[in-house]
Amino acid sequence: MSDSGSKSLTKANRSLDDGVSGLISRIQLPHGAGRMIVLLVGIFAIFSILNPRVFLNPVNLENIGVGAPEIGLIALAMMLTMLTGGIDLSIVAIANFSAITVSSLYTAVSVAQGQAAAEGLTIVFLLAGIGVGALLGLVNGVLISVVGVTPILTTLGTMQLFNGLALVWTGGVTISGAPSALSGIGTATLASIPVLFVILILAAALLALVIDRTPVGRKIQLQGANPIAARYSGISSRKTLMLTYGLSGVLGGVAGLVFLARNPSASADYGSSYVLLAIVIAVLGGTNPNGGVATVFGVILATLTLQVVSSGFTAMRLSAYEYSIAQGVLLIAVMIVDQLTFRRRRRRALPLSSETVAVQTQKAHEEKTR
Amino acid sequence: MSTEQPTLEVRDIVKTYGGVRALGGVSLRLLPGEVHCLAGENGSGKSTLIKIISGVERPDSGDIVIGGESHPYVSPSDAIRAGVQVIYQDFSLFPNLTAAENIAMLTELADRRKLSSRRRIRATAERIVADLGLRLDLDADVEHLSVADRQLIAICRALVGEARVLIMDEPTTALTHSEVERLFGIVRRLQARGVAIVFVSHKLDEVLDISQHVTVLRNGEVVSSGEASGYTGRSIAKAMTGRDVNEDRHVDDLPESAEPLLIVDSLGRKDAFEDVSFALRKGEILGITGLLGSGRTEIAEALFGVHPADSGSVTLDGTPRRIHSISDAVEAGIGYVPEDRLTQGLFLDKSIADNMVAASLSSYRGKALLLDRGRIGRSMADLFQRLRIKAPNAKAPVRSLSGGNAQRVVIAKWLDRKPSVLMLNGPTVGVDIGSKEEIFTILREQAAAGMGIVVISDDIPELVTSCHRVLIVRAGRIVAEMTGSDIAVDAIQERMTA
Amino acid sequence: MGTLRRLRGPNNEGVLVAVILVLVVVMSLASDAFFTPNTFFGLVRSSLVPLVFALGVLMVLISGGIDVSFPAIAIFAAYTTVSWSGQASFDPTLVGAFVVAIVIGAALGFVNGAVIARFRLPTLIVTLGTQGIIRGILLAYIGSAYIASSKMPPSVAQAGDAYLLDIPGAGYLHGMMVPVVVVTVLVWWMLKYTTFGRSIYAIGGDIEAARRVGIKVVRTQIMLYSLVGGLAAFGGMISVILGKNANPQTLVGTELDIIAAVVLGGASIFGGRGSVLGTVLGVILVQLINNNLVLIGIPSTWQRAAVGILLIVGVGVQALVALRSRPQPVLLDEEVSRA
Repeated sequence: MSDSGSKSLTKANRSLDDGVSGLISRIQLPHGAGRMIVLLVGIFAIFSILNPRVFLNPVNLENIGVGAPEIGLIALAMMLTMLTGGIDLSIVAIANFSAITVSSLYTAVSVAQGQAAAEGLTIVFLLAGIGVGALLGLVNGVLISVVGVTPILTTLGTMQLFNGLALVWTGGVTISGAPSALSGIGTATLASIPVLFVILILAAALLALVIDRTPVGRKIQLQGANPIAARYSGISSRKTLMLTYGLSGVLGGVAGLVFLARNPSASADYGSSYVLLAIVIAVLGGTNPNGGVATVFGVILATLTLQVVSSGFTAMRLSAYEYSIAQGVLLIAVMIVDQLTFRRRRRRALPLSSETVAVQTQKAHEEKTR
Repeated sequence: MSTEQPTLEVRDIVKTYGGVRALGGVSLRLLPGEVHCLAGENGSGKSTLIKIISGVERPDSGDIVIGGESHPYVSPSDAIRAGVQVIYQDFSLFPNLTAAENIAMLTELADRRKLSSRRRIRATAERIVADLGLRLDLDADVEHLSVADRQLIAICRALVGEARVLIMDEPTTALTHSEVERLFGIVRRLQARGVAIVFVSHKLDEVLDISQHVTVLRNGEVVSSGEASGYTGRSIAKAMTGRDVNEDRHVDDLPESAEPLLIVDSLGRKDAFEDVSFALRKGEILGITGLLGSGRTEIAEALFGVHPADSGSVTLDGTPRRIHSISDAVEAGIGYVPEDRLTQGLFLDKSIADNMVAASLSSYRGKALLLDRGRIGRSMADLFQRLRIKAPNAKAPVRSLSGGNAQRVVIAKWLDRKPSVLMLNGPTVGVDIGSKEEIFTILREQAAAGMGIVVISDDIPELVTSCHRVLIVRAGRIVAEMTGSDIAVDAIQERMTA
Repeated sequence: MGTLRRLRGPNNEGVLVAVILVLVVVMSLASDAFFTPNTFFGLVRSSLVPLVFALGVLMVLISGGIDVSFPAIAIFAAYTTVSWSGQASFDPTLVGAFVVAIVIGAALGFVNGAVIARFRLPTLIVTLGTQGIIRGILLAYIGSAYIASSKMPPSVAQAGDAYLLDIPGAGYLHGMMVPVVVVTVLVWWMLKYTTFGRSIYAIGGDIEAARRVGIKVVRTQIMLYSLVGGLAAFGGMISVILGKNANPQTLVGTELDIIAAVVLGGASIFGGRGSVLGTVLGVILVQLINNNLVLIGIPSTWQRAAVGILLIVGVGVQALVALRSRPQPVLLDEEVSRA
């Protein structure tokens, strides 16, 4: 990389960043969220100008509202686990497991006792779906916090396992059947806002409340910011991690219900591209993959941004493949900008005493090799 | 002497991090065959200077002159090629490679070898190990070796090439007496061969034994430099701190009626310490000291549940307590300000307020399980003021704080829990003099209010000035207890090393 | 005790061998159809492509990173090569086709390496991004259609039928086994006996220490990712040759399975640890399960779950062992305190 090239890049980044951060400081928002608002509005404006007839069509806007919730819920779960410095690769498998559970229960009861009986048990089925999500999330939690396997390996393994069990359960085919109330929710609107979207916003608001306003939420943040210091502050990583992955499982379970609400069928392979997409959204929304920093609001905005890009691309008659390019470019560009601003901020901050740093790296190293 | 051509010279090196000057125009001449002692407190700029000489950091301005050629900066490979070798304080070894590979890595790279030969590597490593008269398991992975062995490997690695400048950053911390002697023998041999040596150590007497030249840094500037014969341990210490070593005791009398608060009875932990018994009274400031590796930190960490003790008992406020985890200790009312503030004590990217509330979150639960943010805000503002933390406000990130202020944040975190016993390990490491005194003032205030305070430290003058009592730990046992006017720097030092 | 430890191997290779042997015995007992040349040849054939990919994953893991873009690079390079030479009706010869694909793959890997090393970004997230970009460009601009062997350059198409050993009724050993074995040995040799290979271990062990001893970390990382890109492309070509078609929709999605096999093979997700032998065994173990579960009466739908369980048990046991052997805080002996 040429020196002048990187310099002008740095300069461009700096001016872009200064502009954005200036705006943020005025509206008092966390970094990720502020940037996403600018991005969302900008992208929305671009597509509105390029193809207003198709893009601003109410049907298209409603599609954004209906499409966003399932991936939004999964991205929230991903964000939560990344907040502790972990990751949940099994989240889509959990969502599918929940959908399969509800669909199978519904079908089994309607076959045995008639459809009316099955419809009557809808609430039970939905709770079962969420409960299965929580249970599978807790399996992750146990492996991570009690057995001590790293999150990435745990969820890589449980992704295979949950997905594999779902395959066994369904025999590898798509099963159909879902409570009609659920399908009703899938198409219902509230003041012309899709109910599914309202559910996403409610879940997000609840999650934000947990993370920012409860003791355990703050402990989750601290756990991600510095697990060793959290331990030395008397915070039990076991409790916080169990809760984190359990909650992530619940969000996955709800996402599974949303799958069913949109389409009354379930399969082990649904949404296979969602794992990666959820990571993209979480990082775009300002989540630090190393833990400690994340905002729910930023993730919601990032979800909407990607949905807008997706439907905008459709309106522009661009393919899903071009959408995938856009995702990748966005992700890497945001990471690079973040990295450059972070380095600059570091440089501005006071140096840590280098002797203590030496001791610190040694200690951290020993901690790591344990 | 000074007309001799230096092997390496740095001139007017300036290095700033953000707005803060780490080095403000430092010059140093390293002559062939001379041992140059570089002294300075933590944060004085020693390590930054070493990193600049070895190419790990770039200076903002100044020159580095090697072999008569002047450079604005050097890269790590430039430095190594010019014969600059560093024994880092953190060793900088590869835990996943064998001892032999760690030792030979530098020469392999310096010779620009494309292929790696086990036999050659082994031979290189064996040669240096034999040369130094050491015994090392060369085939073992470094991560399985003891700290002392790692230090020896770091030394071997630095000496295996044809070093022309050897920088030793605290090379003796983990070595036995005979190993230190052997190292000094090697240093003298290298000296005879014309190698320029920089020696950084806290053990000032040891340094004076072997150095010909002394340079003292304080706040990034050279405050004193000259022939070693003109210095004593005390005069170096004075130059480092800018004040005379103060042995005036500043201890409030303990009332006769002060009840025992924490009773530790024959506490032990395999391979760490044994038969440790003491009682801490309400309002008492108890010092625990010993050399690195003596077990002083292990005792504190056992009491705090980090590495629990496996025998003995702990009684707090009359109640027997089992401490098997940190949560147990915290529940029992013990707080601990850890040795390594940056990794163990602080959440660097979080705000001051977030850090201060970290240990007491659950106590701020208000309505509907939510945190009572009003109450948190008031407590934090109160602590922020009481501990006189110098920052624009409690929302500033901890990363932006100086060592002294950051340490106050860690102390505040525990004070917010109102523990009955507060243990502090190395509370003033990397803290400037003004803050040091203020930290002890804060501790005295807390003690006066009835808290029991344990200070684990190797800064003996500070123990002398502030502690009611000092326990000395050696090889995992308490070997001496000093009270009142018996507490004196020389006496403690004598018992530590015995 | 010492012998036992030596048998276990530095990365638990011995344990893997034992597990594989137990599986072989169980499967042989359960089914007569198992212990036959057919099964063996099938196992070899199905292991070829995963093994090549796994070698790339291994190198990246050793250096302390994770790469999920390799299947995208593989199919991009192979498809592009086959598609262009097909369109131009130009047969670059088999070797030529491999060279073209590897150059394309190395170029894509270079991009990964440059972004990762220059900006010091998390490797998982960078390669997630490049995976989307590479796959998107392939499908949007190069081609999304399936290419049958009849439309491929003749030399590539013919290679699909080149057998090393063909026993009628008992199966065959594919010719592509030769280059795969050669590449495996080369990677093993490189990791063990070249300074570059040792530098990869060093970077994975402690990147800061690597910088301090004068390893050019940025250059080494870029070279590594370029090499891994080239390796992925090589695997992509093998896959096209074995499958006798080029389908741009394949391969992507298999990355986590490959990573699972490498981790089972003893490589550490934290970097610095891993061996070619372990990786070969890991791949064989996974393929053994995938191919033959049916023989011992377990329906093939259990494949994924079985690999998942194996992975969880494998890493779980390792983690528990690590927890129990956690190093004690170091206390130096009596003599030290006197020093």
